[in-house]
Amino acid sequence: MSDVDADAGAEHPDVAAQAAATVDEPELDRGIVEGWAARMISNPERAYRAAFYVATVFFLVTTLFPFYWLFMVAITPRGSLRDVGVFTPGGVNLAAFIEIFQRIPFHRYMFNSFLIATVATVTVLIVASLAGYVFGRLRFRGRNLLLLGVLVTSFFPPAAFFIPLNRLFNANVDVLRPILSAGSLYNTPFAIFIPLSAIYLPLSIFILMTFYSQIPDGLEDAARVEGTTRIGALFRVIVPLSAPGVATAGVLTFITVYNEYFFSSLMTNGRPGNWAPMLEGILRYQGQFEVLFNLMAAASIVAVLPVAILVVVAQEKIVSGLTAGGLKE
Amino acid sequence: MSTDTETRLLARPLNWLETRSEATFAYILLAPAFALLALIAFYPLVDTFRFSLLADQTAAADPFGGFAGLDNYAALLSGEALLPQQFLDPSFATPLLQQALFVTLAFAVISVLFETALGFGQALILDQDFYGRRWVRVAIIIPYAIPIVIQAMIFYLMFNPTIGFGTEFMQWLGVFGENPLANTTDSFIIVLVGDIWKTSAFMALLILAGLQSVDRQLFDVAKVSGASPWQRFKYITLPLVAPALLVAMLFRTMDAMRIYGLIDATAGCQTVPSMSCLVITALQETRRWATGSAVAFLTAVVIGLVVVVYLFGLRDQGAGMT
Amino acid sequence: MASVTLDNITKRYEDTVAVNDMNLEIRDGEFLTLVGPSGCGKSTTMETVAGLTIPTEGSVHIGDREVTDLPPKDRGISMVFQNIALFPHMDVYDNISFGLRLRKYDQTEIEERVERAADVVQLEGMMDRMPEEMSGGQRQRVAIARAIVREPEVFLMDEPLANLDAELRVHMRTQLQRLHRELDTTIVYVTHDQAQAMTMSDRVAVIDGGALQQVAPPLTCYNEPDNLFVAGFIGSPAMNFMEGAATDDGFESRYVDVPFDPAENGIEPDQSLTVGVRPEDVYLERDQELAAEPSRTYDAIVDVLEPMGDEMFVYLLLDEDVEASAEGRGAGQLLVSLDPDTVIGEGEEIEVVFDRSNIHVFDSDTGEAITHRLR
Repeated sequence: MSDVDADAGAEHPDVAAQAAATVDEPELDRGIVEGWAARMISNPERAYRAAFYVATVFFLVTTLFPFYWLFMVAITPRGSLRDVGVFTPGGVNLAAFIEIFQRIPFHRYMFNSFLIATVATVTVLIVASLAGYVFGRLRFRGRNLLLLGVLVTSFFPPAAFFIPLNRLFNANVDVLRPILSAGSLYNTPFAIFIPLSAIYLPLSIFILMTFYSQIPDGLEDAARVEGTTRIGALFRVIVPLSAPGVATAGVLTFITVYNEYFFSSLMTNGRPGNWAPMLEGILRYQGQFEVLFNLMAAASIVAVLPVAILVVVAQEKIVSGLTAGGLKE
Repeated sequence: MSTDTETRLLARPLNWLETRSEATFAYILLAPAFALLALIAFYPLVDTFRFSLLADQTAAADPFGGFAGLDNYAALLSGEALLPQQFLDPSFATPLLQQALFVTLAFAVISVLFETALGFGQALILDQDFYGRRWVRVAIIIPYAIPIVIQAMIFYLMFNPTIGFGTEFMQWLGVFGENPLANTTDSFIIVLVGDIWKTSAFMALLILAGLQSVDRQLFDVAKVSGASPWQRFKYITLPLVAPALLVAMLFRTMDAMRIYGLIDATAGCQTVPSMSCLVITALQETRRWATGSAVAFLTAVVIGLVVVVYLFGLRDQGAGMT
Repeated sequence: MASVTLDNITKRYEDTVAVNDMNLEIRDGEFLTLVGPSGCGKSTTMETVAGLTIPTEGSVHIGDREVTDLPPKDRGISMVFQNIALFPHMDVYDNISFGLRLRKYDQTEIEERVERAADVVQLEGMMDRMPEEMSGGQRQRVAIARAIVREPEVFLMDEPLANLDAELRVHMRTQLQRLHRELDTTIVYVTHDQAQAMTMSDRVAVIDGGALQQVAPPLTCYNEPDNLFVAGFIGSPAMNFMEGAATDDGFESRYVDVPFDPAENGIEPDQSLTVGVRPEDVYLERDQELAAEPSRTYDAIVDVLEPMGDEMFVYLLLDEDVEASAEGRGAGQLLVSLDPDTVIGEGEEIEVVFDRSNIHVFDSDTGEAITHRLR
């Protein structure tokens, strides 16, 4: 809207300058650059618009170029990797995108990552829904203290939790023996999704708390009078009406768990059969005798596709979720 | 029939819950969240501290020895820890970028400053209305959403001397040496660039939220009173988004101080030892679990201190933060 | 159908008492209105009946059942809310049938009942509309249909007309009365608007400060208010009050004195009194035969005239030195309701009389009414 105003305002001096140029002979002597500079000076709004376009292009290039270059590496045959330029591949061979699945079971790594991210997302959404409902809608003694407790957890680095968790997950627990062959959680999806669910829980609690608190009390009361329990009202009325918030929390949790490195790299021994996630797969192409750079690049592109698609589909939600979670303090 | 009894079995505790007081109900619903947080955060944090007071036992089955008091902390803070890299060496015999505290702080300060500046720029662009804004926004967010390992891979490949153009370019500028990913200073810069590339977008999003909550009419008022775009930015935009900006910087700083994955997958933890890196090095390279616990706890303490500094900053700002 | 009994209900929050030791019996089939200013505890009282609030002390019975610890869904009640509270993600049919579906009624029964309920509030043909596509009045009717479809023992209505525009409110008022007649169910109605309370209810429970002030049929509250609060709250415009004290031969205040025999009216000499006269019980001296028992005359100056069409409000000053307060209801001021055709001008000096058969006398210290008719 404001652009229109700016343009309308910009027109007048411009038109005046053109009119002047046709009348005054000396104006014609000016070079293109000089004329451009003169117009910029006489009309700062125009200069700002030019700066705006330059900056936009700059940011687009800097954010997107690495992906482009990664693709150039991926399509270069292994023998010509030295010839990869800044903008050009060393050759064209799409076989790398097939080879990544032949060299190692990269699909299994991807599946592991998907499974872990999905289970973590579901866990987080359920647990955070209950907590978000409590913090967003109930008044009780100790609310602020408990909320602070949730916030504080999000301050600490995963490294501060790692050593005890590592021992805990490596410990042989006899109770688990019937379910898990090794009797410990190490090398199972649990060792990754449980810590990650906890660590990314606070963000979802903050997002859902904000959304749930905005549902009018009357709707919850109406549902209860009509015949639901309070929990029933939460899942039948409050959650459906907060669908955008739930989607936001879900998308963000999925992306962050899928992207995580610390626990994902430390809680398995890296074998696909032991539920090692996608990142181990990508690092696997660093073999003993040669480093398969083109395969690393190709696998990276394959692994980035799911999140890239999610971002394109859900960018609006990611933006609103981050800002809701970030600014709620 | 069976589903009926199932629903009834489920209904009974729900009905019981119904008649609890608001506070009891609240505590019960919070139980799963706090159980999870207690298992993964509160208890490990306490245990980390407990471990950090024990002695290292590198040869025995149990990596922890007897009670050693604050010895581990003394060793870490005096530069005498038996680790490949130091946490802090007050004598400066260890190069600054081989000291985890300095690496982490320097990384956090520099990356957050650059990310704030670039993020602000991106946010100002995304705040405009223009054709194709949706796609520009997607493009700018995408780096934020990509997995750390892929972010690392991009920069690993780019600065790989055989295939990447990055090394050659930086050498031409006279900045880098032969194999930058093995050189501490060069790798530090690579990690910085990689982080700035990915996380400027995060800053942009948080700042954008601040910008969009600014009342548009204020700009019209300023325009009418003849303020130039720069003046509008300086006197209206900046003061009004300052609180959002500080919150965003707080989040970013906390996150930057946890840096691990990007380093691990590019230069390696030995080359650029961040605090989180040092924890893992202590565990995996030297099997000094107690010292590692002390590093881990110090990491938490340092981050806690930085948070406190920010909170004071926010309070001074005093703008609507509860 | 059932009665509702509140025994010693107290609801305390951290540092405030919302409802204080309330005892109230709502009779079977009765339309009872809880009325009072905002924050008086009337909504909290209703919520304890609904089960949305658990009282700190006391018990609630619906019929013979004690329901104090039952959740709302098991109380056999239904409720209409101030903000209408239709589920925005469900269409009209789903909104109305929500409670029946939760109770697992069978499909044909649900359809029949929804149709009948929709019929009562004239919602035929709107079953697949979404709430956002409907007008305020239509939404209100859906809310009522949702409440009646379950054929509850008790209806609770919490300011159901507050969010409607004035015209619609009057229309819905008659609709609700008709509904009450057709369904013959106990209705508990909460409002801050004494006009709604007066027009619709069998009995009115006036609440202030978390406590019951008076429970009586509307006209009783109007003609024989138990205390100063009820006298001031019921009736629009509100009653005129004059503060003073009893003397040996009547009431004396700065601007007005009323002669009577204290003993005969149960008043002790020197007792501080407040005398209340409704605007319609004041007459011009020349029309004094309209009063059942005209009092002595009082001099007054006409301050402001407010012709309303069907009546005329006249603000009087009882003395030249009275400073008119902004609301026109301060000491020395008198609001009178006269026939709209009365010939009178602003600034005119006139004489008025009170109707002694409608002079209310209250004890100023306790606020309790002493008599509603001077002897």
